[in-house]
This record gives sequence, structure tokens and C-alpha cells, in this order.
Amino acid sequence: MRDYWLSKLFFDLQSTPALGAEYRADRAKVLDRYPLKPEVRAAVDKDDVAFLAARVNPYLLRFYFVVCGMPEGEFLSKVRNAGADAAARSSHG
Amino acid sequence: MAELAGVFASSHAPLVIRGWKDISAPNQQSLKHAYDELGRRMKAARPDVIVEISPDHWVNFFINNLPAICVGVGEEHEGPGEPWMKECPYKAIAGHPKLATHIAQVAFEHDFEPAVSHRLILDHGFAIPLWKGGFDLLPPIVPIIFNDLEPPLPTVRRCLAWGAMLAEAIRSYPESIRVAVLATGGLSHSIGEPTMGEIDEAFDRECLRHFEGGDERSLVDFLNERLPTIGNGAAEVRNWVAAHGAAGKRGFELIDYCNVPEVYVGCGFASWNLGARP
Repeated sequence: MRDYWLSKLFFDLQSTPALGAEYRADRAKVLDRYPLKPEVRAAVDKDDVAFLAARVNPYLLRFYFVVCGMPEGEFLSKVRNAGADAAARSSHG
Repeated sequence: MAELAGVFASSHAPLVIRGWKDISAPNQQSLKHAYDELGRRMKAARPDVIVEISPDHWVNFFINNLPAICVGVGEEHEGPGEPWMKECPYKAIAGHPKLATHIAQVAFEHDFEPAVSHRLILDHGFAIPLWKGGFDLLPPIVPIIFNDLEPPLPTVRRCLAWGAMLAEAIRSYPESIRVAVLATGGLSHSIGEPTMGEIDEAFDRECLRHFEGGDERSLVDFLNERLPTIGNGAAEVRNWVAAHGAAGKRGFELIDYCNVPEVYVGCGFASWNLGARP
């Protein structure tokens, strides 16, 4: 499943360095320009890698968190746990 | 008529550039040797034009407009724009509109329907093998983008057929030029997935054996079975398959294989001996 506007946000951020800088300075200001569903915006606010991973291309997920400045080790840890998290959420409805 | 002067394949791991200092000395040496030998063989082919097959890493296309295959037919393309590629010397990259348009036309005549673009951005996938291979000055490039990233992806069988068609298009081009084909990407790696960082050397070795063996059916069957089961980056092996098709499915010669955990990629480098017997 692809969430179009989440994907568009990630695509724009990784392809436009100035937008990435603006995002790092004021995340809410940039997010306001994208019609994200409330639960998706909440996941972005929380850096919920597992939730986001289920909705975008994995390369865009990777590029997004590079733009955000998340340390490599932290991203690897979160993305490696994403599969288990997704399975747990699924089994709990 | 144009001559198919050489067929080559290479990995293009970004961390070879942006994480070079974190790679162990022996692995740096292995990668340097592999890229040097790739570059030496490519230069020895004396290409007037390089037709390069690589994926688009979300630089030119998005999910609102996502071609399966796109031929760059413009006079000029842009060099890589990734911030960590700023040292790359390729800023404006000359295309070869006449050859590129001929390839697109021949593709349509063979029942392929590629998209075309008159100006592409050639990202790290295009640039790293040529840069690390020592091409300070590039010949004109005909870029061909394969969608290896966002499903649905072109089938392995069609990629093989694409390569055969590409060779026929090159050989039927009515100017006396030497044309090399370079496919980039793979081998096994996983990006943005729970398996990120894992290299499947067993897959890579078996994949290379299938290229060496030259049996079309076993190569296609192997990839159809295994690609869906391993990391997403291995999907770029489709580009190698197209190169294999361009070479007539024979003559594969492994330059080197480097399992480099620091760059998350099983790095492969190859050329095809076009004089090999069927």
C-alpha cells in the first residue's frame, strides 16, 4: 500500500535540499502543506518507522530519515524492528 | 554500422562514496581494484558512446508518473544531485540523441514501449561506476532507466529480451561508432526494509554462476524464484540481465565480487567476452 501524500512529502524532501533544511528547522510548517491523514501525520511527528514503512517505498523511507538527520544506527534498529512491529499490530487488529 | 564494443556491469553502492572512510582497508583495496579493472576494460573497448542501464533512485520519477523503462534521448543530461555526490566531476553530461532515438524506435518496432525523456538527472547509480572507474571525461551517454525500485517491476524475461533488442538496435545504427553497454546495480542488498544491511552472498554467488553458465531458462527461473525472497536492492540484477541479453547470453566474466558489509551491498563487477562461442 502506498500513501500518496506521505510518499510525496518524502520524495520532495529528499529531492529538494532547501526543503529538507526548512523541514529540519520547522517540521510543522512544511507538514501543513501536505494533506496527510491525521494518523499519518501523527506517525510522522513520532518518527514511527514501522507505521511509515508500511505506507511508502522503502528507499523513500530510508532517504527521508537521512534528510531528518536520524543517526544511522537508530534508523537501522527501528527499521529492523519494523517488520516485527507490523506483525504485532496486525495480529492485534 | 555501429559496433557493440563491450558489455559491462557494476554495483553502485552509495556508501562507497559517502562512507568510504568507514570501509576497512582490505575492503577499500578490493573495491578499488574492482573499479580500476572495470574502468580499464571499459577504456580498452574505446567506446564513442556508453549506453548505461541503471535505476532511478527517486530523482526523475515519482509514483504519479513511473515508467517501467525510459530512454534518455536528449542532448544533455544533468549529473548527480545528491548532496554527498558534490565532488563528482559530472555536472552536465552529453547525451547522444541520434543513437538514443534510434534505440527507442527499434524498441517500438520490437513491441517494447519505453518512455522517453529529453533531459534526465543521472544519479549515483549512473555516476559511481564511471567515476570510480576512472572516467575523468565521459563519452556521450545514452541513459536507460529501468524501474527496479517500485513494484510492479519489469519481468526478468522481458529485461533479457530488452538487452537482445538493445544489441540489435546498436548494431543497426547507421554510423560507424563504438558503443559500450554498462548495467549498474545489485547484487544483493536491502534498503529501508527490516533486512537492511544484510548481504546474501549465497544468492550472489549462485546468481553469478547462472550468468557464467549462460543457460537462459535456469537464469530466469532462478531469479523469478529468488528475487521476491531477498532484499529489494537485488531487483537491480534486472539491469545485469539486460546486459546479459545484449551480450548474446554468453561470455560472462566476473571481474570481482566483494562482500562489503560497510556498504550494505554484495558488490559485483563483470564484463562479457563478446567473442565467446555460443
